[in-house]
Amino acid sequence: MELDFLATVLLSSLSSASILLIATLGLAVVYGLMGVINLAHGEFIMVGAYSALTATQIGLPFLLAIPFAVVTTMIIGAVVELLIIRKLYGRLFDTMLATWGLGMVFNQVAILLFGTVSPGIGMPQWSFKVGDYSLAVYPILMIFVAAVMLAFIYLLMTHTVYGMKARASIQQPQMAQAIGIDSSRVNTMTFAIGSGLAGLAGAILLPIIPATPSMGLFFAVKGFLTVVVAGPVTLTGSALAALGLGGGASVTASFMTSVVGDVFFFLVTAILLWLYPMGISAKWRRKL
Amino acid sequence: MFKIKNATGGYGKTTIIRDVSIHVNAAEIVALLGRNGVGKSTLMRYATGLIKATSGSVEIAGETAPPSPAKRARLGLGYVPQGRFVFPRMSVTENIAVAAASNGFEAKKTVAAILEDFPLLQPKANDLAGGLSGGQQQVLALARALATRPKILLLDEPTEGVQPSIIDEMAGVLKRINEEHKIAILVAEQNLDFCLSISERAYVMEKGTISIETDRDSLRADKELQQELLGV
Repeated sequence: MELDFLATVLLSSLSSASILLIATLGLAVVYGLMGVINLAHGEFIMVGAYSALTATQIGLPFLLAIPFAVVTTMIIGAVVELLIIRKLYGRLFDTMLATWGLGMVFNQVAILLFGTVSPGIGMPQWSFKVGDYSLAVYPILMIFVAAVMLAFIYLLMTHTVYGMKARASIQQPQMAQAIGIDSSRVNTMTFAIGSGLAGLAGAILLPIIPATPSMGLFFAVKGFLTVVVAGPVTLTGSALAALGLGGGASVTASFMTSVVGDVFFFLVTAILLWLYPMGISAKWRRKL
Repeated sequence: MFKIKNATGGYGKTTIIRDVSIHVNAAEIVALLGRNGVGKSTLMRYATGLIKATSGSVEIAGETAPPSPAKRARLGLGYVPQGRFVFPRMSVTENIAVAAASNGFEAKKTVAAILEDFPLLQPKANDLAGGLSGGQQQVLALARALATRPKILLLDEPTEGVQPSIIDEMAGVLKRINEEHKIAILVAEQNLDFCLSISERAYVMEKGTISIETDRDSLRADKELQQELLGV
């Protein structure tokens, strides 16, 4: 086997893992800091993708379409938290049902507004060569994007008052209130941030994954499993789980078929959850 | 200064405390005595708003307390729960800082001032709270409550599972903050010696109600009551 082939597989697998991580971070933040499993997360990604697409169609450059999508999804997220999630605190399964239903509504609205097929925006055509192989720049760039997003969330949660309040609220909800933290305001903020991260994912991945009303499902399943495998130390856990599961599946797919890659993903997930029912990070002593 | 009036409440449909009224004057230390399961912790949680009141009211610094625990904290109610409940995946510094910031105080200054008051926590400042020993966590829970600059401090079984040397230190600290900052303290305890060493007045609870109100001297003299409280 050639060295350049190995390097190519490694880079593109790292890129696949990063794409999975980008799509998962919003879910990880909401699950890790609110204990809410947002089954509409995939649809928030879809909303982000369509927001960015619409923005570029009315003439905004792609780089400005991304923050537009983030702001749009953050606002929608805050409204959803105030109207729905807030009523269901501490009722995990009810929240799952409600967000699942919400996802269907988003999905149908997207079909009504945009139809079932929509144009991609075309990937920037830059590429570079590794030996005999040519790689597109944009997907490789996602490794960098994922790293920046991780660093941003880590700093937000460890170096701001909001971040400390959010972590206190999930670790000891009653004590957080008893020392004066207004948990419901913190939660609205957290859900808005989680939704904004989903919007960012949808927008920034738009050149790779075109907007379709049902694109959410693809992300929801793998993202959900990644977060559950990660466990309570959300950020580090999700990064490792995305790298292991997403990267591993991609390497497997390169050597065999993409079906075997998916089988790898779900098999390893099942084994990990059997070994660590509370997630791989259940016993870690880390902040995030 | 701090009053609980006709408190009735519990968990779900189970009423645990019935028609309890107590008060703590400004800068006073009052003990809440009684054996296990008489409702001391429930009364504390009633006061914080963490359990819903069936009836009755709470008054903090002359104001009727709103239902929200967070608003009660900002009115000046500090709470150190039984079992400590520090934020385990946050550092010692963060545990104190978040309490200060949530009440509108500058985090850095408060942390520095509090670490000065609790030398025991200094070498652990950057450690995660979940890794501290029981006694250290108890001191941290107290430090966290003080960071909210309370006017009345509720302490629920602060000596439980804490080694004697730290208990003595804690009694000293409580007396000092009570004198220096004029913080009133209500302490629920089973450790009679600890209570006699810091408080001047005491309520005795039995089956969810206050059975006796007494002061230190009569409690010292009343061997029969002491025996009963110690569960001998």
